[in-house]
Amino acid sequence: MRIESSESVSESVPLSQQEEWKDVTPIPQDDGKHPICPIAYTDEYREIMDYLRAVMAKEEISERALTLTGRVIQTNPGHYTAWMYRKRLVEELNADIAGELDWVSDISAMYPKNYQLWHHREALVVRLLDPKQATEEQSEAELLRHPVIRRELQFLDSALNEDSKNFHAWLYRQWLVRTYNIWEQELIFVNTMINEDVRNNSAWNQRYFVHLQGRNPTQVELDSELVSDEIVYAVENIKLAPNNESPWTYIVGLLLRHAPAKLYTELLPKIQELANDKDYSLAMTTTPFYWSALVDIYEKQARASPEQGKALIEQAQSICHSLATEHDPMHGKYWEFRNKSLSELQL
Amino acid sequence: MATAELAVDAHVRYFRHCLNMLPAETISLDATRMTIAQLSLVGLAALSRLEESVPAGQRKDMIEWIYAQQIPSGRAEYRGFRGGSLFGPHDACNYPAANCGNVAATYSALCALLLLGDDLARVDRAATIAGIRRLQQKSGTFAPHPGTTERDPRFIYCACAVSAILDDWSGVDIDAATQYILSCCSYDGGISQIPFQESHGGLLYCCVASLALMGRLDALPDRHRTLQWALFRQCGGGYQGRINKAPDVCYSFWVGASVSLLGGQELVDAPALVSFIQSCETDIGGLSKWPGYRPDPLHSALGIVGFSLCRPDVLPRMSPELLLPKTVVERLLHLGFRRSHKLCADA
Repeated sequence: MRIESSESVSESVPLSQQEEWKDVTPIPQDDGKHPICPIAYTDEYREIMDYLRAVMAKEEISERALTLTGRVIQTNPGHYTAWMYRKRLVEELNADIAGELDWVSDISAMYPKNYQLWHHREALVVRLLDPKQATEEQSEAELLRHPVIRRELQFLDSALNEDSKNFHAWLYRQWLVRTYNIWEQELIFVNTMINEDVRNNSAWNQRYFVHLQGRNPTQVELDSELVSDEIVYAVENIKLAPNNESPWTYIVGLLLRHAPAKLYTELLPKIQELANDKDYSLAMTTTPFYWSALVDIYEKQARASPEQGKALIEQAQSICHSLATEHDPMHGKYWEFRNKSLSELQL
Repeated sequence: MATAELAVDAHVRYFRHCLNMLPAETISLDATRMTIAQLSLVGLAALSRLEESVPAGQRKDMIEWIYAQQIPSGRAEYRGFRGGSLFGPHDACNYPAANCGNVAATYSALCALLLLGDDLARVDRAATIAGIRRLQQKSGTFAPHPGTTERDPRFIYCACAVSAILDDWSGVDIDAATQYILSCCSYDGGISQIPFQESHGGLLYCCVASLALMGRLDALPDRHRTLQWALFRQCGGGYQGRINKAPDVCYSFWVGASVSLLGGQELVDAPALVSFIQSCETDIGGLSKWPGYRPDPLHSALGIVGFSLCRPDVLPRMSPELLLPKTVVERLLHLGFRRSHKLCADA
């Protein structure tokens, strides 16, 4: 069964004049005598809503109801119970899922910030390809060739092509990767996205997700070599644009959580080397992120090695002072506060 | 004094327009009219102009409209308030999923009622709380309404706010909700929508405010780092919602209120934030997301409340955890409720 096949015809003629809808008594909206925030409805919207209420009230399961939910959602994608109803209709009518996915893609292009469409899509994909069975029986390479997975990755490509930081698209991508265990291709994808835009923080976040493979961060020990490689990777990207918060928060955050000692044994010498390299020195020493990272690193190091603690804390405090006055005046009060907290630190 | 710094009269006109009639382009907000009402009322209240702009008779009518959206009967999970009258007359529908409460709408309805001076006497408390209880998932997070796979901290927040307002926490498993929020804490100190999603200022607010309402702010693994993440979102004057995104006026509240709840209000560059908020004021009244765009009720209300957090000397003090004036939160006490958790200490 094709979905919305007669849509172009039916949209031009009011439902009240269509033979197909003769048996339905529309239910008008009762907004009371004094509505709040009434909306200047169009005649078309008012009518399709009157008919939607009528078919929903009696839980009609029919193709015309499916078509109607499509028209309503296209006009008002925030109609959350229409989505629930449509989901049920698609299931009970055994509607063509591929056609439904195309329809969702159209809605997504019209309303990229809608929440409901992604959940609708997720449910459709699971029906097409059972995750448990798929991941037990097929390798990642096989799954990547599977038409269902390929379509979803293509759909995500176009959504992220439209807006490379679309929050919903990244969320859906995480769901897809996790559900079908397609982790290896994801690191390649993340690299591509970071190469395209080194400031895309969503891609940097996805990098962390890939390395953790969705496991509880407090219970995961990351391979030491992997962590060292990530330090190199982050520093290479810092070189491209030192005043870019993403690689700094990525690497400092990752190390604070998973390998705090590497902050001062590995990251520190690398960024200091850059700061002393004449090609990078100016860019490094004028970005607040470099100095801010040094404060985090020295504080951690001081806590770990109390014998040098006092000197390290003094260094960190002096950096806080120059951040407040010179490198990052917008957060000046924060840096003064941080300076004070450091002076109160009990080692 | 305030008039010199914000175009108060123009904003009052804008919010009055929103309450009286929204244009057809806002049809996609039809299912969330309750929230638009709440925001328009909050905007007026934050400007100290609610009583004089909305005459007593109209306030009474508005209260009636809100109560008309309370689901009158049926199983617990379908109870609470719905987002608007588009779902049809309550007695016309035999399909409970078609006409059900939504925890976000319930939260907006309670706030709007309080803003209008109602005493919540007609709220079906038992049904509302029982409904919330049914929406909490095993993982601790919440669905907005039955039947959907949508679930995230936005709805944890709404459930917490409703519980705080009704002073009945029997619908929330506080330990489970707290654990879920902690699982959303990201490597960079921010908080996300689900574990491993990119940190986001709006979700930060939902999580931090939920913890505050539950009296669990101390559960944050590194509160200092979360505060730092929030403060660092201030760039170019306004707050951005995510790293490397443009500042947007709604985060003046989402991030601004989080900073306040985390004890960092004094560390904000308030003059720069105020200038950014002013740059988003539009000629026709109301505020737009970015300077030079069209206003909408959400950005208008949240921009003004964000302004009041910075300038309690010119605008009424607002509660960062409930998006209500502190005077309204105080009145909640006099309605005879015991004050729950931390709300008590702050009012």
